[in-house]
Amino acid sequence: MGLPCGTYNYSYAKDMAILRTKTHWALFIALLILVFTAPLYCDNYLLGVANLMGITLIAAVGLNILLGYCGQLSIGHAGFIAVGAYTAAVLTGTFELPFLVGLICAGLMAGLVGLFFGIPSLKVKGFYLGIATIAAQFIIIWFINHLSITGGFTGIAVPYASIGGFVFDTEASQFYLIMTIAVLCVFFAKNLARTRIGRAFVAIRDNDLAAEVMGINLFYYKLLAFFIGCFLAGIAGSLLAHWIGFMNAEQFSISESILYIGMVIIGGMGSALGPILGVIFIRLLQQGMMFIAPMLESAFPALPAGFASGIAPMLFGVVIVLFLVLEPRGLSHRWMLFKASYRLWPFSY
Amino acid sequence: MAEFLQYSITGVTVGMIYALIGLSFALIWKSSGVANLALGGLVLIFSWIFYAMLVQVGLPLWLSLIVVLILALAFGWLIERFCLRPLIAQPILSLITVTLGLEFFLEGLAVFIWPEMVAGLPPLFPIEPLKIGPAVVSQAYVWAAVISLILFGILTLYFRYHKMGIAMRATADDQLAVQACGIPVTSIFSTSWMLACVVSAIAGILISSISGLTHGLVETGLKAFSVVILGGLDSFIGCIVAGPIIGLAENLGSGWLTPIVGWGGLKDVIPFIIIIVVLFIKPYGLFGEVRIERI
Amino acid sequence: MKSRKLLTLAGVIFLALALAVMPLMAACGPAPEEPTTPTTPTTPAVKGPLKYGMSICMTGVAAEKGSPMGHGKLDAIKYINEELGGINGHPIEAIWYDNSYDAAKAATIVKKMMSDGALFFTTNSSKMMMASQEIANRAGFPGIASFSSPICTNPPQHIYAQMPDYGDDFAAFANYYLANIWKGEGKPKLALHLLNNPTGSGSGDAALCLADELGIEIVATEEHTATTISEMESMTRIKAANPDVLFIGSTPAPSAVVIKNAYELGLYPGVVIGCAHASFTKAMVAIAGADIVEGVYGVFPTCSWGEDVPGMAKMTEYCKAYHPKDYGNMDYITSWAEALVGAEILRLAVENCGYDKLAAGDAAAWECVEKNGIQKLDYDVEGLHGPVKYTAGDNRLDKSVRVFQVVSGEITAVSGWIDAPRIPYENFPDKFPWAVK
Repeated sequence: MGLPCGTYNYSYAKDMAILRTKTHWALFIALLILVFTAPLYCDNYLLGVANLMGITLIAAVGLNILLGYCGQLSIGHAGFIAVGAYTAAVLTGTFELPFLVGLICAGLMAGLVGLFFGIPSLKVKGFYLGIATIAAQFIIIWFINHLSITGGFTGIAVPYASIGGFVFDTEASQFYLIMTIAVLCVFFAKNLARTRIGRAFVAIRDNDLAAEVMGINLFYYKLLAFFIGCFLAGIAGSLLAHWIGFMNAEQFSISESILYIGMVIIGGMGSALGPILGVIFIRLLQQGMMFIAPMLESAFPALPAGFASGIAPMLFGVVIVLFLVLEPRGLSHRWMLFKASYRLWPFSY
Repeated sequence: MAEFLQYSITGVTVGMIYALIGLSFALIWKSSGVANLALGGLVLIFSWIFYAMLVQVGLPLWLSLIVVLILALAFGWLIERFCLRPLIAQPILSLITVTLGLEFFLEGLAVFIWPEMVAGLPPLFPIEPLKIGPAVVSQAYVWAAVISLILFGILTLYFRYHKMGIAMRATADDQLAVQACGIPVTSIFSTSWMLACVVSAIAGILISSISGLTHGLVETGLKAFSVVILGGLDSFIGCIVAGPIIGLAENLGSGWLTPIVGWGGLKDVIPFIIIIVVLFIKPYGLFGEVRIERI
Repeated sequence: MKSRKLLTLAGVIFLALALAVMPLMAACGPAPEEPTTPTTPTTPAVKGPLKYGMSICMTGVAAEKGSPMGHGKLDAIKYINEELGGINGHPIEAIWYDNSYDAAKAATIVKKMMSDGALFFTTNSSKMMMASQEIANRAGFPGIASFSSPICTNPPQHIYAQMPDYGDDFAAFANYYLANIWKGEGKPKLALHLLNNPTGSGSGDAALCLADELGIEIVATEEHTATTISEMESMTRIKAANPDVLFIGSTPAPSAVVIKNAYELGLYPGVVIGCAHASFTKAMVAIAGADIVEGVYGVFPTCSWGEDVPGMAKMTEYCKAYHPKDYGNMDYITSWAEALVGAEILRLAVENCGYDKLAAGDAAAWECVEKNGIQKLDYDVEGLHGPVKYTAGDNRLDKSVRVFQVVSGEITAVSGWIDAPRIPYENFPDKFPWAVK
């Protein structure tokens, strides 16, 4: 189904290949080249937006593993990102450890905290689990605000990322760093889904009782999903900390967590493409909203006071609602339909 | 002892306000299984409508209340008709995300119409506090507690004896069977949204008469529902019991622990620690229905 | 399926209506009465523009402050361009974006402003400045925060504060209290009730830093969330500590809850209550009820509406013409004043370095704006707030506040401008590690 007409698989290796045809390879390489030459023709602002998207993507990929593959609802993802961000900030800022150590520790720390808050998932399901993770978010943020090592309410400054002697102090160099890690994460997630672990996750998502009967260790795999999901959140947090340069717990609000869920669902859960499309969609929409108020105010100086402030969130909401009504299965589903119809064109059957 | 009494009374009354928001959440969850993330936005918008009627238009209190309740019914109908019904039979998470979009829309709408964004309601209840032994409690909290008890009573009776209420319970149990019996499931959903909007309107009015109309109402709504989950998502009695439990825990817990540990703001974290512990012991909340699963 | 089509139709109609209604709203909205005849014949500004970057919280959680602030500075820039002919003939071009009070957006906005060639940038809030400041400091891009937290300006780098920060509020109030209100013997006992974010902790840090020096004993420190609906239990503890004075560092709604609960517990009237400037607005009086907050003190760094200062007439005229709903809003004044300060900075920079250097909008231009503009400031801001003047080692531009009191429901000034000396956070490196770098 997913292959062009006349392409047949004669070996397992071919059957398992992600990029099956020469066109696939060509398009894929073209896309990578396009992405990695972006600094040549984008200004700092666009690169900044791309960096933000890259960081968000890493976290969203994590959430997709947790929610999309394993079916464990987490409404506290921003909290786990905060754990990573603060771990990196404290290790590289206060203790002056190298960036890479901070990055790995951020992932591990967030993963461990995720493990801890994932324990209820053994007994709790669905929205009850969602509430437990909301609680996790509030508890994490509370601790960050009350520990002295994290700078408390005031926040903490974070130095630039650096590897060896090389300091990532320009937007372009940060872009390469973030995009490399993001591409690796997407690649990891895509492959994870095709291993025994990924299949176990899907089995748990579809029916955890059945999965258990089939011999899948629920305890191990649910916690593994939490660990991987939160590990990626921690990596994203570390990059975010180095990119913004200043961390404050208020940046990791509960609405941010909910927005992450929105990204994964709008993109399409349980596919590698979903988070990518969802992140691009939401972040671009947000950036667009940034310009709406200035444009309106300058075009129509006599607008009523609340117009510019109110219209942006209203449009944001309407677009999300419309989108879900038109495409409840997410953007990646639409993309599949589009690909199929493109292949079959002009004969629709 | 005086402090104990003070903490307990505060805890119970504040908890009842949480319970009120929780009721609104449970109403929708009970009939359709949708988690209403737009709750905060609803609380916000109805508080502002009430403010507009009472202060800006200058209607008397009872009339503005009636106007708000009628508008709440209308809102509930519209939301169900235009946002949720098109998504029936779609993945449940998509429905939940639709309410997220709705939330943004309602927040924007509130700013759009009331750009001042912060206002105070005139006191709805006498400002002199009630004295109970050595403790004091503001009349606003007492009235809020009483009103939420009354609402709880009405809703319980409605669900037990009214035809529609019984149909709603049946829908929550098994949608397919209910449809086969000829009960219009769509009108059940729309009734539950209308009721939920009315409850959140009342909750919004009570909260904003205490802490003013600000954007913070959104987060209050969000926090309150997560707190009330403790009782069980599909249980009214759970809401009405869990609210005061949480209220008591946060007031008593922080009242006694703060001087010992020396950390401020314990009140804001204790409820969440309790949630995690309770969910671990009773995964469906204190009064939630335990689902027996089949493969 | 039918209902989905219906809904799509409804949505599309909404979007179309939203677009169509905008010009209509513009036409029917408050008729833009052109400000009465310009007093001085102005030379039309035809020279190249000076770019003034603004990151404004126009939407989102903080829009209650951000929206009037945005209107204030945009109106002021309109006034400067239309009536004063810009800066020496160069019009000011406001490059502004809406950050929605979202840190990640603020970070992209500061980058956008740097690549747009803005000469400096301003933010309304301390949180947005904190999200932007490291990026700006690293690039040497000068920024000014209207409301700021001590961490924005300590240690001094490229970020400046338009007005005294939350910590200075406490210092000024404490000085006023000791000089004018405190009549007892020994050390007055102070209780603090702080919002659980930098706004609150700013006041708390200042209190920790200054308590010994001023001779004040801190007997209780409590914190609350922005969405609190009851502080009875923390107030019970504060009551047990028997304080003489309670200082609230917060925003209007929670401050109102704290004061109401103090009233119910019989703590107030009795103790003296002081509020930091973020909370001391008409909204707080409205939420708590005028009877309850009668006699509460607060500090505020700007003048009030209707005061007899040189800048008042034009500001009132523009506010009433373009944003009548904002009339009476204190944040509008803050922000109008910010634009005047910004214009003065640009004037100094143009006169000292010449337009050509500034037009580049690069690191050299930023350095020039900082060295020859911001650091050479000596300007009275037409009386809208205390004079702005840079002193080495202190990145706060305006350093004075006034003490106000609620008298029969109105916020009334009870003191002249009080100087808020810089608080030496760096002397306590164990408590405030951020103050030393």
